This record gives sequence, structure tokens and C-alpha cells, in this order.
Amino acid sequence: MVQTVLLSALQQGLLYGFMVLGVYLTFRVLDFPDLTVDGSLALGGAVTAIIITSGGSPWLATVAGTASGLAAGYATGLLHLLLKSGDSNFTNYGPKLLAGILLMTSLYTVNLRVMHGSNIPLLRKETVFDQLSHWFGKSMTGWWVVLVLVVLMLLVKFVLDWFLHTEVGLAMQATGDNEQMLRSLGVNTNVVRVLALGLANALVALSGSLVAQFQGFADVGMGIGTIVAGLAGVIIGEVLFGVRSVRWVLFSVIGGSIVYRLLIAVSLRLGIAPTDLKLFTAVLVVVALALPTVRKKVIRT
Amino acid sequence: MSAAAELVIQDLRKVFFPRTVNEVMALKDVSLRVAPGDFITIIGSNGSGKSTLLNTIAGTLPATSGTLILDGQDITKLSEHRRAKFIGRVFQDPRAGTAPSMSIQENMAMAYLRGRRRGLGPGVPRRIKSRMRERLAELDMGLEDRLTSQVNKLSGGQRQAMSLLMATVAEPRMLLLDEHTAALDPKVAATIMELTGKIVNDSHMTTMMVTHNMEIALQWGNRLIMMHAGRIILDLAKEQKALLTVPDLVNKFHEASGETLAIDSMLLE
Ligand SMILES: Nc1ncnc2c1ncn2[C@@H]1O[C@H](COP(=O)(O)OP(=O)(O)O)[C@@H](O)[C@H]1O
Ligand SMILES: [Mg+2]
Repeated sequence: MVQTVLLSALQQGLLYGFMVLGVYLTFRVLDFPDLTVDGSLALGGAVTAIIITSGGSPWLATVAGTASGLAAGYATGLLHLLLKSGDSNFTNYGPKLLAGILLMTSLYTVNLRVMHGSNIPLLRKETVFDQLSHWFGKSMTGWWVVLVLVVLMLLVKFVLDWFLHTEVGLAMQATGDNEQMLRSLGVNTNVVRVLALGLANALVALSGSLVAQFQGFADVGMGIGTIVAGLAGVIIGEVLFGVRSVRWVLFSVIGGSIVYRLLIAVSLRLGIAPTDLKLFTAVLVVVALALPTVRKKVIRT
Repeated sequence: MSAAAELVIQDLRKVFFPRTVNEVMALKDVSLRVAPGDFITIIGSNGSGKSTLLNTIAGTLPATSGTLILDGQDITKLSEHRRAKFIGRVFQDPRAGTAPSMSIQENMAMAYLRGRRRGLGPGVPRRIKSRMRERLAELDMGLEDRLTSQVNKLSGGQRQAMSLLMATVAEPRMLLLDEHTAALDPKVAATIMELTGKIVNDSHMTTMMVTHNMEIALQWGNRLIMMHAGRIILDLAKEQKALLTVPDLVNKFHEASGETLAIDSMLLE
């Protein structure tokens, strides 16, 4: 039993890990609490599902699903520019939150349109997991899924490491750290922010695409609560594994994603109703948020 | 060495909250020709428009009317990040000039790319590290041995020294300093001021420096400007400035503004 709980937590933690990386990028790197993610996760699933059911290649479907998240992030970034125009206060979260909320809400309709309904089953369709099964001659279940996901996750993680330390990547980090400074060094921070929001939502949509293919359906409601789950992963990861450098913290939040799914799996085993999970997650976030301050207080006295 | 900029300011006006009860005219049609290589010190009471003047020159704030001509190019409508190619800045708050959670070398590397397109090359290329170390060593603060330290681990003085370096390493044609030593304790402030003088003299870049300290305003630079209520009320050349003492300057202020304000204590500190 311990093994099944662990296995499922690893699978879910890795599947949603790309999303957690995206949430980390917006919340922490960009200092932009982006609520688009509820919509872009479902968008990734929806676009992937419609392409697969129309007979498209699952690989193409995965890439297209990811790209749809990129577009959604760009849309949020552009809308934010419109909403904040004329406002020179860099730490004003109002326009940021509003841009995300508007996109999240719009994407609900977009997702229904994309799927021509609220749900697309993929049960007898060929997904990337099925294709991998053919290639390797191993059924893509259990630990094999974990292995495949770990490889993909490491690939994404190292590309992200590299990217965040390029010239553009440093500009992304600095946009969230000190936007006025970066402008006075000649960087158009508006463009940088739009690019970063695109990247973050592409990661979120990649999660949506993989989740849909793994669970065998895409659903318009599959993204609900993504932002809170993503935050939970980020915060748990930071608290448990630390934040000593960007490279390190990317590992931390992936770990956080897995621990979060483990907590969910355990609490379901212990009898928490699935319908209570959202509240459970919210409480978890609050508790984890309180932890570092608790820790600091303990250290000080 | 960078070419020093000439800046011609014509009838520059800045109105905050226009057509409301809170309307403030912070700059009242200011005109000024800043010659290439000028090092102008700017003084004036609180709220006289000194920061607004620098912010409008840098493009942080759009001008309400008037024009700014930098080396013959009309920059009035140019966005802030485009102007940054020519204009370096240091602010009063030592935290304003650096990215706190990034490392010393990352901050410096970003500064070397001032006004250039950023691509997918390494953010901190190996080839600039030795140049970076050399410049940091000139600060004499040991920062050259701490390249990978986070900037938020540094003291206010160290951060302000780095801000100054970051504003100038890529050799912009103009440097704007807004009370950049005001938040530091006196000893550190003196160090930063010496450093400022050295950098400006070495590079000859055109410099405008706001200060609340009259002695510094008299001691440094080749020209002194006094602002009051959104206007320039005094503009002294090097020779005139050399003959003045701080009390003279206070008298000049009273003559020129026609007011005896409670700023004397501030002016005389
Ligand atoms: N961003 C702003 N919004 C509204 N009013 C401002 C702003 N900045 C400055 N002001 C007003 O403009 C006037 C000049 O301010 P400022 O340029 O900061 O003066 P100084 O730097 O000489 O102390 C003041 O009345 C100030 O209240
Ligand atoms: Mg000021």
C-alpha cells in the first residue's frame, strides 16, 4: 500500500511538476501572481485532446497544447500592459491580478469551444504514453511512467537553468527583482514580462497536456485550483529544500510538487473526502506560509 | 572614453494630476543648456522640482510640454529604456540601483549590456569577469572577491558604490545623480562622493547631481544650479561658484527667490 501511494504521488507530482515550475517563474522570479494558470492548464489538455481525437499525432498534440499555453501567457502579459498603462508603480498587483483573472475566465469559454463540449475522453486513443510503450516494449504504467517523466523533467529543468542564466534570462530575473533598475539599464521590461508569462504558461499547459493523456480525458474543470496547488508545491519545496540558488530552487519546487501530491494521497487514504481537497490544500498553503516565520522566530530566541 | 553629451532643455513643463484639485506644476517651463562635459550640482528646497527634472530627462516621467534635445536628437518622446542607452542614473535609495537577490557578477554583467539587445548568450560571459574584477577592485571594498555573493548581503555603502559603477561601466554619455549619498552615514557618503568625482573626472561624462548639501554643491562640479518652486532661480559658472561660501549661497537664495523660507537649517547643515 505504501508503494502505491508513493507511486501515485510521484506520477502526479511529476505530471504537475511542470506547472509548479511555471508558477514558480511567475510568482517568484517575475513577482507576478498569475491566475491565468487555471485556464492555461485546461487549455493545454483541451488542445491536446482535440488534436488526438481528430487523428493528429500525440507528439504534435503535446507541442500544440504547450504552445497554446504560450499564447495564453502572452495574452495575459499584453492585457496587463493595457491595464497598467500610465501607472508607474511597479509593485502594483492590481493590474497583474486582474489580467490573470480576465484570462482565466476567458479561457473557460475558449476551452469549451476548443473541445466542443466540456469533456473529451481519450481512452482508446493513441497518446504519447502509448507510443512510448510501443517503442520500448514496456507498458507505460507504474514505475515506467515515473522514469519517463523524470527524464523529461530533468530535460526541462536543465533547459530552464540554462535559459534563466542567459542575457534574456537574467533580465527576466531582474524584472521581478528590481524593474526600475533594469529599465534604467536600457531594458524594455514590458517585453521581458510578456515573454516570461508566455514561458510560464507554456509549462503549465505542458502539464495539462500530459495529465489529460495520462488520465485518459480532458475536462474543462481540470484546471480549477491549479494556482493554489502550484503555490503549495512552490512553498512546500522552498520550505523543505531551501532556496540557495536558482538552479537549486528549481529542484526544490519539483520536490515540493511531489511532496504535495504525497500529502494529498495520504490524506485521501486517511479518509478526507475528495470534495474537501481544495480546502485542505488552501489550509496546507497557509500552514506552509506560516512555517518560515515560525522557523525564524525559533532561531531568534 | 565616452563622448560627453550636450543636453538642451527648452520650456520643460511637468504637471502632476492636471485639471484636478491636486494639480501640481512641478516644472514651470524650465530652459537650460547643459554643455558637453558639464558637471552641474543642483540644490533647492524640498519639493522644488529637482527630482522631477531628472526624472523627466531620464524619461521615467513624460514631460507635459517642452523639448529635450540630446546631442541634436529630440528625445522628448523616447521611452525610458531607449534613453538609458545614453543616460546612466543613481538614486537616493541604495536598494534602487541593484537587483537584490541576484549576484554581484550578474548585476555587473547586466550593467555592461546597457542599451544593447539581450540574446541567448551567457548572462555572465567569462571574458568580462576580469574587467569586472578590475572595476570592483577600484572601489576598495573587497567586492571583487565576492562575485557570486547576493547583493542584498552588502551594506548600503557597498550597494551604492556598485550602483555608481553599474550606472557608468557601459559609459553612457550622461550621468544623473539624485541625492545619491543622502541615505548613507557621513563617512560612507564622503567615500561615495570621492568615488563619484573620480568616475566623472575619468570619463568626462556630462553629469547632473542633485544634493541637499551646499558644501558638496560648492566643492564639486563646474556649475551650480539652484531650483525653487519649479524654476531655476540661480545658475552659477565655475568662476562665480569658486568665490562663494555657504552663507553667500543662502543669501543668494533669499535674493533670487524673494523668500525667507525655513530651509536655512537644511541649507546650512
Ligand atoms: N510622482 C509624483 N506624483 C505627484 N506629484 C509629484 C510626484 N513627484 C513629485 N511630485 C510633486 O512635484 C513637486 C516637486 O517634487 P520633487 O521633484 O520630488 O522635488 P525635489 O526633488 O526638489 O524635492 C512636489 O510638489 C511633489 O509633491
Ligand atoms: Mg528629490
